[in-house]
Formats: sequence, C-alpha cells, structure tokens
Amino acid sequence: MSSAHNGSSHPADPGGHAAAGAPPAEEPEAPGTLHELEEVLHHIEEEDRPPHAGPLANVLVALAVIVLGAAALIGSWRLGVGSPAAPQAGMWPFLISVVLLLLGLALLPLARRTADVERFTRTSWLVLAGLATMVVFAVVIPYIGFEIPAALLTFAWLRLLGREGWRLSVIASLAVVIAFYLIFVVALSVPIPHLF
Amino acid sequence: MDLAPILNGFAVVLEPTNLLYCFLGVVIGMLIGVLPGLGPAATIAVLLPLTFGLEPVTAIIMLAGIFYGAQYGGTITSVLLRLPGEASSVVTVFDGYALAAKGKAGTALGIAAIGSFVGGTVSIVALSLVAPLVAGFALDFGPPEYTALALLGILLVSTGSSGDRVKAVIAAAVGLLLAVVGRDSFTGAERFTFGNLDLADGLDFVPIAMGLFGLGEILYNLEERHRAAQAPSKVANVWPSREDLRQSSGAIGRGSVIGFVLGLLPGGGAVLSSLAAYAIEKRRSKTPERFGKGAVEGVAAPETANNAAATSSFIPLLSLGIPANATMAVIFGALLIQGVTPGPQLVSQEPELFWGVVNSMYIGNILLLILSIPLVGVFVRILRVRATILAPITVLITLVGVYTVRNSVFDIFLVIVFGALGYLMKKLGFDPGPLVLAFVLGALLENNLRRSLLLFDGDPAGFLTRPISGTLFFVFLLVALLPLIQSLVNRQRAARRDAHRDTKELV
Amino acid sequence: MTVLAAFVPTPEGEAAFAAGLEEAARRGEDLLLLNSPRGGAPVSADAAPPELVEQLSKRAQAAGVRLDVRQDAHSGDLADEVVRVAEQSDASVIVIGLRRRSPVGKLLMGSTAQRILLDADRPVLAFKPHKGAS
Repeated sequence: MSSAHNGSSHPADPGGHAAAGAPPAEEPEAPGTLHELEEVLHHIEEEDRPPHAGPLANVLVALAVIVLGAAALIGSWRLGVGSPAAPQAGMWPFLISVVLLLLGLALLPLARRTADVERFTRTSWLVLAGLATMVVFAVVIPYIGFEIPAALLTFAWLRLLGREGWRLSVIASLAVVIAFYLIFVVALSVPIPHLF
Repeated sequence: MDLAPILNGFAVVLEPTNLLYCFLGVVIGMLIGVLPGLGPAATIAVLLPLTFGLEPVTAIIMLAGIFYGAQYGGTITSVLLRLPGEASSVVTVFDGYALAAKGKAGTALGIAAIGSFVGGTVSIVALSLVAPLVAGFALDFGPPEYTALALLGILLVSTGSSGDRVKAVIAAAVGLLLAVVGRDSFTGAERFTFGNLDLADGLDFVPIAMGLFGLGEILYNLEERHRAAQAPSKVANVWPSREDLRQSSGAIGRGSVIGFVLGLLPGGGAVLSSLAAYAIEKRRSKTPERFGKGAVEGVAAPETANNAAATSSFIPLLSLGIPANATMAVIFGALLIQGVTPGPQLVSQEPELFWGVVNSMYIGNILLLILSIPLVGVFVRILRVRATILAPITVLITLVGVYTVRNSVFDIFLVIVFGALGYLMKKLGFDPGPLVLAFVLGALLENNLRRSLLLFDGDPAGFLTRPISGTLFFVFLLVALLPLIQSLVNRQRAARRDAHRDTKELV
Repeated sequence: MTVLAAFVPTPEGEAAFAAGLEEAARRGEDLLLLNSPRGGAPVSADAAPPELVEQLSKRAQAAGVRLDVRQDAHSGDLADEVVRVAEQSDASVIVIGLRRRSPVGKLLMGSTAQRILLDADRPVLAFKPHKGAS
C-alpha cells in the first residue's frame, strides 16, 4: 500500500496490491501532512455510503433548520424573555433560537458547495422498515409481553432486512428470545412485561 | 503530594467486583473496536441501563474500559484486513497492512499493543499529576468561569467533529434546546412541554443517548453497501523483534506526548492525535519514504497516540466537569445518573471514585496488553459474525434496556424517536456528538449563565472583566473566528504565490 | 458459453473446481469460478485467499483453460446467486461439489446443492470429493 500522498489510492481497496512504484515526478506538498491524512479519513468513511444528494437537499436542510429556529424563537418569546438584568424563563431558549436561526441562514449560501447530505436510496426503505418494527414492538409490548414482539422483531430483522435464510431466522429469533428471557427475567428480575 | 487517596484508589480497584467489571469493560471495548459498525460512544450509551444497579466506581470503571479498550481493538482489523475498526486506527492501515502483506502482521500488532500500553500508562501517570492540579485551580471558578468553560467546550467539540462545522454547532444548539424542555428551575415555568405530563420533568438523558448513538448508528448502518469479505488470516508470532522495538521507541515516546496533549483539548481526541503523531513521525524521519510501506514507526506512533489521547480526554471531565468529546458526554450522563456531579470538587469530595477510576486504567491497560498479544486470535474470529445478526440483538438490548430505566413505555417510544433523529442527522451531515454534549451541559450552562447575570446585575460585559472568564471568552472568539482567519490567510498566501510564480516566469 | 463452478475452500469446492476444469477442457470452453462469500461480515471462511486463487489460476493455465474468478459477496441465498450468475454468464453447465449432511444438519442448515439442482434451468454436474482428499 503506497503512502497516502495522492487521494486516489485509498486503503480499503479490495484485492489491490501494494504498489511500490516510483513517486510522482512533481509533489505539490510534503506527503503525509495532517490535511491529507484527514482527506483519506473522510474518503474511507464515505466509501460504502450512498452517493451525495444535490444542492436542493442542502437547501431543504437549511430551511428545516431555519423553521426550527423560528418556531423555537416564537415559543421562547411567548414564555417571556425579559432583559439581561431580569431574565425570564424564555431568555435562554430565545438566545439559542437566535443562534439557530442565524446558523440556518449561514447554511444557505454554502448549499451548493457542501457535499455531505446523502441521497435516499432504495435501501433507505430498510431503515423505515426497521423503525416500523421498533414502533410495533413498543406499541404491543404492554399487552402481550416482550417475548412475542422480540421474536417477531428479530425474525423481521434477520429475514427481511438481513436476507438470511428461513431456518437461521427462525432458530436465531427463538434463541434470542430465550436468552433474553433467561437473562432479564430469570437472572436479573427486571420488571419488563412478560407473558410466560 | 498526598499519596493516601491514590493508594486507597488501588484498594478500590482490587476489589473483586471492580476487577470483574474492569475486565468486562476492556473485553467489550476491544470487541467493538474490532467490529466495524458500533463505536464506543454507542456501546456505552446502550449499556447505560446496566450501570444503574452498580456502584458509581464500578460503573465508570467499566465504561472507561470500553472506551480505551476500543482503541486497542480497532488496530486488529486495520492491520489484518486493511479495514479500520475505529476512526482512530485509520492511519495504522498504511504501514500496518503493509507489514501484514510482508507476513509481519504479528510484528505490527505487537508493536501496536506495546505502543498502546506505553501511551496509555504514560497518560495515566500524567493524568494523576495534572488532574488534581487543574481541579484545585478550578475550585475558585465561579458561575462566569463555568459559563465560559461550558461554551468553549461545546464550541471546541463542534469544531473538532467530523463533517461540517456549522452543522455541528447547529446540532449543539438543538441539544441545548432539548435541555430546555421541562420545568424551569428558576421560575418554575413549563417550557416546551406541550402539556405532556411525561415531558414535564424534562427529557431524560438515557433515551436520548441510547437513541441517537445506539439505534441511530444501527439504522444508519443498514444502508451500508457490502464490502467484499476476505478470507480469514492466520496471525502468527505476535511479538516484535528487539530491533523493531528499538526503532519504534522514539515514535512511542513522541506519540505518548502528542496523544496526551491533543486528548486534553475538547474536540481533539484520539482521531486527531493519531493523525498528528503519524504526520510528525513521518516528517521527522530521516527516511520518510519507508512510511506507507511497512515502517514500524508508522504503526507505533498513531497507536501510542490514540491510547494516550483516549486516557487524557478524561481529564476535562474528571477535573472540570466538562466532557471533551461525545463519549465523555455519555459518561458524564452516567455519572449524573449515579448521583455524582462531575466538577473540580470530584477529586476532593469523592477521592475513592476519582482514584478508583484512574487506577483502574493501569489494570485495564495490562489486561488489554494480555488480550491483544496472546489472545488476538480469539478476537479475530469475531470478525466472521455478520452484522445482520448483531443488529437485531443490539436493537432489542436498547429497547428493553431503556424500559428498565423508569419502567416506562414512553421511554421506548422516545428512544425510537431519537433513533430516527440520529439516523437523519448522520444522513444529512450532522454529527450527533455535539448534540448529546450540549444536552448534558445545557442545564449547567443555563444555570451558570443566569447566576452570572445576577452577579453582574444584568451587565454581560462583566464576563470580560474577570480575568479567567475573560481569557476563556477571548479563546472562544478566537476559535469561533478561526476558519475565517484561516481562509483569509490562505487567500493571501495563494495570491502571494501566484505573484511569485508570475515574476519567476518573467525572468 | 462457459462452465460455471461454485467454489469454497473445502474438499467439496476442490472437487467442483477439478471437475469444472476437466469439463471446460473437454468442451473447449472457459471456466468461471464463482467464490461468493456471504456479505455482511469483514471476514468469511468461504472466501478463497489470494494464494489459493493464484494456485487455481496456475492449474487452469496448465490445463489450457481460461479462468475467470469472481469473488463478489452476495446477500441472501447462495443457491440463488449461483443460478443468477449462471444465467447472467449463459453457463453451459453448473458444477457443484456435494457435501454429506445428516438429516438434522439438513433440517437446520438446508442444502444449497438441493436448491441449485431444483432451481437451475441448465444442466448441473454434482461431484463428491475423492475419498482421502485433504
């Protein structure tokens, strides 16, 4: 693995050989500077992630922050702000909201240049599905205990989200629930709603 | 220096329960350091409910073990698979994997383990000296100093976080807002509770941390594209030669110092120190071309530094009560849950806790040295476990765990909401760390701000008249305006370079 | 047209490779070696290490057969992946190695070979490793 002085060679390249080639003829800066290392770090972190979204997404994010800031501003105003000499309940959240608003506005001009918002891809639906399983778990647990929802959640995560085989999913789900039962109910006597 | 509390601390550490939880912590830490996906902050957050039934000392010993243990674990995948388990082990990949490719994986792992041990131990000794001094100095701090310190801490962590600086500060601001929810301690007014009874007492730290870090990270990882899987590697001879040790001794020494210093700064931390140590080692080497091709110093320097930094990042927390990074913020929360308020008074009022935790790090480092040299093969096998199996288990631990805190189903919904928020934040480029940090500091910051204003009769200029808070605010402004100054300097430098080039061409 | 051999670093995979090589030589076709570990973990015992791949390439060269090795990870069922790749590369035959599973083993873990035999839309050649093979 050649040294990190050009951004194109990144460490996690599967199957790449350690290239012991000659260094490029003209090197702009001393290789291995802090800045370059940070670039390599960012590159690695981005590797397996979905691609970046366009500037529109950045604008939407900025707008969301502005809306949040404005809402908090109104809320704190209603609580009563007072003055520095006699601050009221709303003073502190008011200050924060102002900062939030200003920062949201600061995001707008940079919207075209920043590239750290990821695109929502088809795999993003998996995240929604995962959240749904958790919500169902929380809704159902007071009525039928944790065993069945836990088994179903594990099964869903293994089979639907992880695309594991039927057998492994069923067996693992049962094993996990049994383990949880033994640990949380039997050993630790945690007062979680349980059926058995 | 009074040695009695330090010796008492060792007595505390050697209690069987504490030894057990120290062992547990470092093993868990090393495991999650090896596994890509969950990081130490997420793991500590998920295990918070476990700390409820433990003594404060025991709980923090375990949590600390997880944190510095993870620094050891991340090295293993960097060297063997060219895949950093933790961000602080990325730099180790360059020379570590090169050594492995030459069949010297054992050397790399061994040097890394020894460097980590030395770095950690040196840092603990320095911590033992520095922390009580800082705490003593800070005992004279009043509300204005605390206000300035908290603000500076939040700003530094936002500046040091990965990703957009502005977005990190936005995350921090949101964290401060979340801390406002609930009843105002000064006036009794209900703020942002929307009439909901569950919110009247404010948002609880545990669901927020568990959701943002734990669930958020798991959900985020669902979208990861699969890397190609690699064949299992055989690791033989995990012990460096005497020559290797001699060659890396300088790097280890320098790495310890760099790591200790950079870990102290909020926003610095293990990642930055590993990068800096590598860069410095390469620059000072008489044969820099060896770096990237298997130079032992290239492994020794970052690994020593990241462990030293992980240890020294405890100092602001234990001596000032200001967390230096996201993980420290979670440990701060864990202390609050235990009824311990971190601050300068911790050293003097809870010496058993302070010295118990600090001295446990010696033991922890020894344990890790043992685990990472003879037992590295065991940990490597963990790498075959698929993420799809770990994910639902972690989800269930989180959901069930958060319930056990207050026996409240509302908390389960809360953790899910924050899980979704954590996912969205990471997706949209916001670092959740500053949010949690600002949240835990929120109450402290507001209280001190209001008390300061009372002190100054409402005149904010009072902050600048006091020497310490004035200095801190000046540093605050400096750090806040640093990017602007930097871009101005860069532009000037570029303009000068262009002018220079033009004149050169004319000649 | 190409011969597709499903490979793992086990005696069964060895058998599949050897048989696939012979078959490809006999038909005058290329050999496509599919070594697809299950994705999701950084390390998989099913992935063939680079030295082994090099060894196999040498053997293919010696036999005069052009070898193409594919090591992309898959998610889901390996049998589905094999059938998919077979269709994608228009394989003339799929060569697999057979492993003896106890009835309990089959119940718990299933049989990839059985799935391939039932799902494939092209000839499947199944081999057992030679007795005494390492």
